[in-house]
Amino acid sequence: MELISQIISLTFLAQVLRLFTPYYLGANAANFSERSGVVNIAIEGFMIISALGYALFTIFSGNAIIGLLSAIALSVLFSFLFALFVVKLKINQIVAGVGFNLLMAGLAKFLIVFLFQSSSNTPRFESLPNIPFLFDVPFIGKVLSDYIILFSFALLFISNFILFKTKFGLRLRSVGENPEAGESLGIKVRLYKLYGVVICGFLASLGGIWLASNQNSFSDGMIAGRGYIAIAAMIIGKWKPVNIFIACLMFAFFEALEISLQITGTFIPSQIVQMLPYLITILVLIGFIGKTKPPAADGIPY
Amino acid sequence: MVLQVNKKIKANIISISISVALTFLITIIIFLIIGKNPLEVFSMMFADVFGSGYGFGQTLFKATPLIICGCGLAICFHASLFNIGAEGQLNAGSFVIGLIAYYLSGYSFLIAIPLALIGGFVISGLLGLIPAIIKVKKGVSEVITTIMMNFIVLALINFFLIDFFAVKSTVHTEKISDAIMIPKFSDFFPMFRGSSLNLVFIVSIILAFATYYFIYKTKIGYEIRAVGYNETASKYIGIKINKTILLSFFIGAGLTSLVGLNFIMGYKGYYEFGFSNNLGFTAIAVALLAKNNPIGIIFSALLFGFLDYGGLSVNTLVPKEIMFVIQGVVILTILSVDKLVEKYYLKNNYWN
Repeated sequence: MELISQIISLTFLAQVLRLFTPYYLGANAANFSERSGVVNIAIEGFMIISALGYALFTIFSGNAIIGLLSAIALSVLFSFLFALFVVKLKINQIVAGVGFNLLMAGLAKFLIVFLFQSSSNTPRFESLPNIPFLFDVPFIGKVLSDYIILFSFALLFISNFILFKTKFGLRLRSVGENPEAGESLGIKVRLYKLYGVVICGFLASLGGIWLASNQNSFSDGMIAGRGYIAIAAMIIGKWKPVNIFIACLMFAFFEALEISLQITGTFIPSQIVQMLPYLITILVLIGFIGKTKPPAADGIPY
Repeated sequence: MVLQVNKKIKANIISISISVALTFLITIIIFLIIGKNPLEVFSMMFADVFGSGYGFGQTLFKATPLIICGCGLAICFHASLFNIGAEGQLNAGSFVIGLIAYYLSGYSFLIAIPLALIGGFVISGLLGLIPAIIKVKKGVSEVITTIMMNFIVLALINFFLIDFFAVKSTVHTEKISDAIMIPKFSDFFPMFRGSSLNLVFIVSIILAFATYYFIYKTKIGYEIRAVGYNETASKYIGIKINKTILLSFFIGAGLTSLVGLNFIMGYKGYYEFGFSNNLGFTAIAVALLAKNNPIGIIFSALLFGFLDYGGLSVNTLVPKEIMFVIQGVVILTILSVDKLVEKYYLKNNYWN
């Protein structure tokens, strides 16, 4: 009973919306990349490096906005490097993704020990500024006044619009579905793949930055598989921003539930709730819950 | 034709040497950037690793699970199956090895060790079969399923461990009896005193040779390579594709469980959650650097073992976490150098 009353509270809703943010940013990141035909399993790494970037630049500059911009720049830089590997050199995207994940997670581990002599976390730093007058709204003020959370909601419309209503989106998708046909129509296939990868790096970085800003410190392992859950949400959402939105809400709900379970302590083991997103993804892939189909040329170098 | 094969081998040697050299160069640059003298760091590393039986033993000890896991992955990779799920597979197998060994602690090691091994192998192998079956039946890429399985398996292990099997307020199982522990090198050679190096190292070397034989000299191994090289062509020469995929996943994933033998029966005496510390991913780098050649894997695992223990020994100069950075650098250099060598060295090769 205690649990049920907790779930239908505004605080719980706010919690769900907050947890939703990094998932949806990451899932859209993955989607832009995969729509252009590039499988990027390094979303996790991109989130880690940008969360760390935000932490470092905010601490050393003392200014959260500089931290934000530098972290985005860092992540975009890495996505150019990733594009060099998978688009220019046509290296296997999965193995390159594993390599980038290891490199970026490793850099984070190394840098926090090297710079702060701590194997677990950085000193505290300030979070991003809020929209002042909305901050005081009871319960959900923290959600309503957060620029990145609001952006992630807007992303539902932005992504949908870019992907399905613009010439750019059409070309991006055609590159992911049938690059030969695109090429024959004069589309610069590799350039569009590069766009996909860089947009991916940008959106993933916002997810990482939000997590760091929200926690006021960077700690090793703080991304905790969110990059992979984002990919899972993209698959369950069938590469469509609207469906991905729902999938991310569902995962955020599970995570909020798991946190509540840990606090109230019921008979449902938290590990079982923890693994649900991954289990559901596999079930969806098998075809138990609806059909799902990736872009036709997804993962194939061109 | 022989000439072409020779050229391919030569190209492999060239790209591996350039990659290793490039990785060292990048490492040196990193040291210089953070204001350390690379010479000082490396000489300290060498002195520690080769200067004492303990350091040398630890290096081999660190290389052991990498050889084992690398061989398992190599079998999958030869079939062009990207098994990213080794982390989950090896943990599940090790967990089962720890449990069986504990419950059989009262029996002779002749019973306990084989049964624990079989149990671990089967569990890891079955976990490998799941993504393989999904791939074969539903055409779903094994990449996503193995990644997702990692999280599911680790959560399940955590659940069973904490709720049923762990020693109270720890994350490890009960200790097995000393009678079924695998002897350490230091029991025979006093020079290795204090090092955890145990006979499983020898087992891992034998395993590497056996895997080499399996992949390159047996019919099944040939079929695995054929499927990995060209699935359609393999079908036309009568190879059962699905059977080959299932088999290579079962054997490859099963082998990863043997790392539990090293950690549990050769070192700690119990399964501990998190012992693997991303071993399943590091082993991808190991196999990749060796071009999936099991004999090569011995050497690349030794290199990683050297970096791992060496990193620990220079921790006062450079944080040992530098190892994680170097692992990533190794993967990325070998991938890019490979492509460039393929492009510029093998460009006249009509095999491509």
